[in-house]
Amino acid sequence: MLDYLLALIFGFCFGWLLQKAGLTKYSKIVNVFRFTDLAVLKFMMSALVVGMIGLYGLQALGVITLMKITPTYVVGNLVGGLIFGVGMALAGF
Amino acid sequence: MNAIIRALRKEEWSPIWSGAGLGIVAVLIVALSHQAIGASGSFENIGGLILKAVAPDLVEKNLYFKFVMPPGITWQVILLVGAFFGAFAASKLSDTFKLDPVPDPQWKRVFGPSRWKRWVAAFVGGIILEYGAGIAGGCTSGLAIAGGIALAPAAFIFIAGMFVSGIVTAMILYGSKF
Repeated sequence: MLDYLLALIFGFCFGWLLQKAGLTKYSKIVNVFRFTDLAVLKFMMSALVVGMIGLYGLQALGVITLMKITPTYVVGNLVGGLIFGVGMALAGF
Repeated sequence: MNAIIRALRKEEWSPIWSGAGLGIVAVLIVALSHQAIGASGSFENIGGLILKAVAPDLVEKNLYFKFVMPPGITWQVILLVGAFFGAFAASKLSDTFKLDPVPDPQWKRVFGPSRWKRWVAAFVGGIILEYGAGIAGGCTSGLAIAGGIALAPAAFIFIAGMFVSGIVTAMILYGSKF
């Protein structure tokens, strides 16, 4: 129950931040591929940097003991990414 | 207090600060829920659930639904429900919430005001996007962010692929307007 409550709260923050950053707009998503608005890139890089420091910091402090690292399948990740980009530029989501 | 209310009602936040916020949320999800942030997987969970109701045999025999994305109301589906309310609250508070069949001025300028054109593009694009996410093992949130913060090579290969094809697709779609 608490698990689902946390999911709702985290989800709320997730949606809130995407909306406030303007990433729910078609133009914001497409324009990163046209190099006219780099909001998506700024958002992603900022999230990655903060997340990396936070995650490995908490692990060093012993707060996080079990960290699942997504397995790498070079071909799958690359081909999937290439297909994903086509959909993203077309739909703008 | 007034400053906080003003900030909450502001239409747009800096993507750098919002991104930093998402980074914190992604870490808290790992630390407190032992889960990973994600979005595209939820659609597959729900899709599997619908397919199971229509054709249970198909789901039973399908390796993808069996091992990778089991159908059901998963933790990530609840996360997505939360995201819906979060985005709704954010747009309501800044008074920018509206229903519009062709919502984007840029789309209208480049591809015209036809709502069918926009809806078909969104629908077909959504299918391609979900299919790619299925092969790669995640989307911008589930693989690029959740994997990236754990320094998984998969995330960075995915980001590279996504930008290469995204740029090429945008070039083709926009033509001389790129």
